[in-house]
Amino acid sequence: MRILSTAPHIRTRRTTKTIMLDVLIALLPAAVAGIVYFGWQAAVIIAIAMASAALTEFVWYLIEHKVWRGGRETLRAFAVQFDFTSLVTGLLLALCLPANIDGWYMPLLGSIFAVGVVKMLFGGTGKNIVNPAIAGRIFLFISFTAMTVYPAANFGPLLDDNLAIWQTNSNPPITPTWTPQDALETGATQLGNIFNLKPVLSNLDLFLGTGVAGCIGETCKLALLIGFVYLCVRGVVKWYLPVLYIGVTGLFAVALEGFNFVFFLPSILSGGLILGACFMATDYVTTPKSTLGNIIYFIALGLLTAGLRKATGMEVVSFCILLMNFLVFLIDLAIKPRPFGYVRAKKEAKK
Amino acid sequence: MIIKPRAFFRGVHPDGHKSPTAGLPAERLPRIAEAVIPLSQHAGAPAQPVVQAGQFVKRGELIAAGGGAVSANIHASIAGTVKAVEERPDGRGGSMQAVVITAADAQEDAFFAPLTDPSGEEILERIKACGIVGMGGAGFPTHVKLAPPVPVDTLILNGAECEPYLTCDDALMHEKRDEIVRGAAYMAKALGVERILIAIEKNKPAAIAAFEQTELTVVPLKKQYPMGAEKQLIYCCTGRKVPLGKLPAHTGVIVQNAATAFAVCEAVELGKPLIERIVTVTGGGIASPKNLVCPVGAPLSALAEACGGETDAAKLVAGGPMTGAALTGTDAVVTKTTGGFLFLTAKETNSDAPTPCINCGKCAQVCPMHLMPMQTEFYTDAKEYENAAKYGGVLACIECGACTYICPARRPLAQAIKTAKAQLRRNA
Repeated sequence: MRILSTAPHIRTRRTTKTIMLDVLIALLPAAVAGIVYFGWQAAVIIAIAMASAALTEFVWYLIEHKVWRGGRETLRAFAVQFDFTSLVTGLLLALCLPANIDGWYMPLLGSIFAVGVVKMLFGGTGKNIVNPAIAGRIFLFISFTAMTVYPAANFGPLLDDNLAIWQTNSNPPITPTWTPQDALETGATQLGNIFNLKPVLSNLDLFLGTGVAGCIGETCKLALLIGFVYLCVRGVVKWYLPVLYIGVTGLFAVALEGFNFVFFLPSILSGGLILGACFMATDYVTTPKSTLGNIIYFIALGLLTAGLRKATGMEVVSFCILLMNFLVFLIDLAIKPRPFGYVRAKKEAKK
Repeated sequence: MIIKPRAFFRGVHPDGHKSPTAGLPAERLPRIAEAVIPLSQHAGAPAQPVVQAGQFVKRGELIAAGGGAVSANIHASIAGTVKAVEERPDGRGGSMQAVVITAADAQEDAFFAPLTDPSGEEILERIKACGIVGMGGAGFPTHVKLAPPVPVDTLILNGAECEPYLTCDDALMHEKRDEIVRGAAYMAKALGVERILIAIEKNKPAAIAAFEQTELTVVPLKKQYPMGAEKQLIYCCTGRKVPLGKLPAHTGVIVQNAATAFAVCEAVELGKPLIERIVTVTGGGIASPKNLVCPVGAPLSALAEACGGETDAAKLVAGGPMTGAALTGTDAVVTKTTGGFLFLTAKETNSDAPTPCINCGKCAQVCPMHLMPMQTEFYTDAKEYENAAKYGGVLACIECGACTYICPARRPLAQAIKTAKAQLRRNA
């Protein structure tokens, strides 16, 4: 029997699976940097988050497809359709958690919420309205109030009166038994011990993440940018979209500070901006379909991020992305394609 | 002379797969026992048969006359006895009206008288009589296209051959360069234009080098699919955009395939109707891929035999892999517009089951018409065809298949587009 179908009869070798695998590879440098900087806790958090994310999808699939009837066939079908998206979700979620969270149950709960509620409940891959990893992080953020006061999960360095970068919420200890109270009492911390923490950071420190408070995956900007370049080379993301987001954020922050360009580098290099811009905001499913829509989306993200950061004094990248995710639908409805050779309808000449 | 083309920034870059047949001389297909000549090989109304069963026809004799303003004559491609005028399977799961001719032992030709120094009207008349149609695939009757409703200033010969696998035009441009140039001159005379361009993709350097030495202006195009699509080709060669809903002639340009130019030359100088063409038989599922000169109506089984037989073909395609039609079996026949037959292995077709759309937007990024195929598919699945036109822009689609080629989720986008178009046409 011949295969019959409409044209075209050949397909590119790229599939959803290979794209998701590329994203995993691109996140690898950031994960490694996180493990180097924050120790084995980071590795454990990453492992728990990824495993529980994949497991959530697996269990959901078994229930949805009635494994008690299909048996082994269902398992095989799962293996065929599994596209690594939940692994990406788990890894991203782990990378935007602080390494010093209280317990192993937090990445677990976050992954279950991200994959189970945000993704599978809405119909699985490609059907979720908001980015699962972002939603998982925010779920943890508002569920465990302790996390909101973790400096590592919050906005990183700011500029002092002399326009030198200093760490507002610096010195997160890595010990899991750490409480916010400890931070007030102890001056020196483990992180400080490891990196000879300087009271004042340079932009290079921010770029490399040395001695900077932050989440597992977001401190080492170099590692993130290596991954981002890989994604661009593989054609997974368009390079200008994250650049647009980061650039608009930096410039708007500069504008809000009275056009003082000293603020440009610290505001783009601190917090989760680069992780969010390169890996989370670019999530295909939760971005507009058209190029024009994407440009609008990323500019709006940049303005929102800089504005809300100034207004709240907190790290708001994940909230901004969540907010803009809800507006994607409206952006898509507003943009209609203009075909090649389109001629604008001429207004009738007035008689 | 060479001019630099403009670029168009969309489209896809599929693997060429042209090497098995590139540079191979076109061989003549061994004599066939029976020719099944379809009555509708062109765009427009089917031709009306003028022969009866049992009648003897010579090679080149008229067997069906054009049946309307847009139609084309059809001639016997082999000499022999008309066996029947009947319904035959078309190889695509449907049926077609065809004239079946059983080959006679002695092959006799009955061509028109050659023309010497013909006028424009004589050329048009001859093209119409010889049943020449656009040989790139659409099969639009050439005599209609060469009488545009508005004045034109440029003739573009399309030798882009942007479809992967196919090398029939490449082979023709190799071997029949002078005939193509003369054919182009005849068409230019019929049109009354001076400027003749020939557009060739850069993956055919030999053809570009050959035409550089002629009086035609060569446009070496970037290797990109769909470079040979009419609107994109006109833009790249002249910088003119065909307005939506208008003919290419409205930009002052007429595009003709290089193979059509060769057919025009033969019609004028030899009086030979369009009864044979070069067909590329290739793919991973055929023993020895070849470029074959085949009479119209030759069955695919004869072509496969001439190429050593099929090995492990999972999919048969008539035409190129991007726009061709899948076949149910080897009872398909060569028509005036068949550029090739592909025997694709399962690995080559790469036809996995569709997975959910991940909204990556690659289909819109590659669409040469700047449309939104994912929107079309979304609204077509919901049977909201008006929205498919509004948000997907489906009515401007040229059905090149680039969106479906690139889709990482293997969505059947082109199929949805065709469905939406058909439904919109029905509702209109």
